[in-house]
Amino acid sequence: MEWNNLPWDKIFIVLTVLVSGPGIIVGIVVPAIGQMIVAMSGLKAIARQPEAGDRINSIVLLSLAMLESLAIYVLAIVLILIFANPMIKYIVNLE
Amino acid sequence: MRKINNPLTLIILLALVIALAVVSNLLSGTASEAEEPDVAAEIAPCAAFTVGPLEITSTVVNTWVMMLLLGIGAFVIGRNLKLRPGPVQNMLEWIIEAIENLIREMVGVEDTTIFLPVVGTLAFFIGFANLVGLIPGLKCPTPDINTPLAMALVVFFSVPYFGIRTRGLLNYLKHYVEPIFLMLPIEIASEIARTFSLTFRLFGNILGEEIIISILFIVMPLFVPVPMMLFSIFTGLLQAYIFALLTCVYIGGAVKAHH
Repeated sequence: MEWNNLPWDKIFIVLTVLVSGPGIIVGIVVPAIGQMIVAMSGLKAIARQPEAGDRINSIVLLSLAMLESLAIYVLAIVLILIFANPMIKYIVNLE
Repeated sequence: MRKINNPLTLIILLALVIALAVVSNLLSGTASEAEEPDVAAEIAPCAAFTVGPLEITSTVVNTWVMMLLLGIGAFVIGRNLKLRPGPVQNMLEWIIEAIENLIREMVGVEDTTIFLPVVGTLAFFIGFANLVGLIPGLKCPTPDINTPLAMALVVFFSVPYFGIRTRGLLNYLKHYVEPIFLMLPIEIASEIARTFSLTFRLFGNILGEEIIISILFIVMPLFVPVPMMLFSIFTGLLQAYIFALLTCVYIGGAVKAHH
């Protein structure tokens, strides 16, 4: 089969879907480890100094929100890849 | 409308909710009548009706329905404030006090009167916008990227407003170039980046939640999505809290003097 006659549009769509799965796994596991460390150190700090609990609590929530936004960026990119890929109009012949 | 606990008022409000939901569903119903159940059609905003060249999406309709409900509710409760509060007033006072404590802790001021309207409105609006998708027939406004972007833009413009109001124009502009003028591009970049971060955090969280619920709904419509919907109440309220918290932190960064 010639190189130009391969069904590139189908290959492209399959590739984007295949890439999205590992992509979101990596993009969620790494922030999850970060959130684990934050929650762990927050718990340790509260156990050591319970009277500072309120202040530590809000800072821990703030850090968790910051870390969560990393996972959300990956989710947004994966959703764009699957549902609204901007490159697809150059590959697929829309006629 | 003398009493809050008047059952007639509650019935009227409930009937209003159902009627508005039905109207909204009818307006946006033409697009969702596909044979195959589609995840994108369940969540994505569709055009409800057109006014001349403008296309009014279902997000706008649902946001106005929600604003109407919030306005009527606030009006009815606000006319009937009592010294010894009923259950509804008690709950609202608890929420307002929680927001005031948040501002006191994060902004670092004792007087919360100028910050409470912005932060409280954002928290209430986002909290109810995340919950309104649970009413059958209404779509969540937050999975449309325009709603979180509008909220983040409000924060983007209110931060310099509060900074200038509390510290004066020169003092506020000085904090961009402290401790060295090389910090200026970094500060400007961080102001723009955190606007997008606020937008995508709210948008992505609620969109992911809604996608999971509609996939479960397509796979198994009976009882299976219910635990996920219960979890979405928690996530929606948590996102509203986090948005208010981050707003307070950003305002606090502009209001506090650097030592």
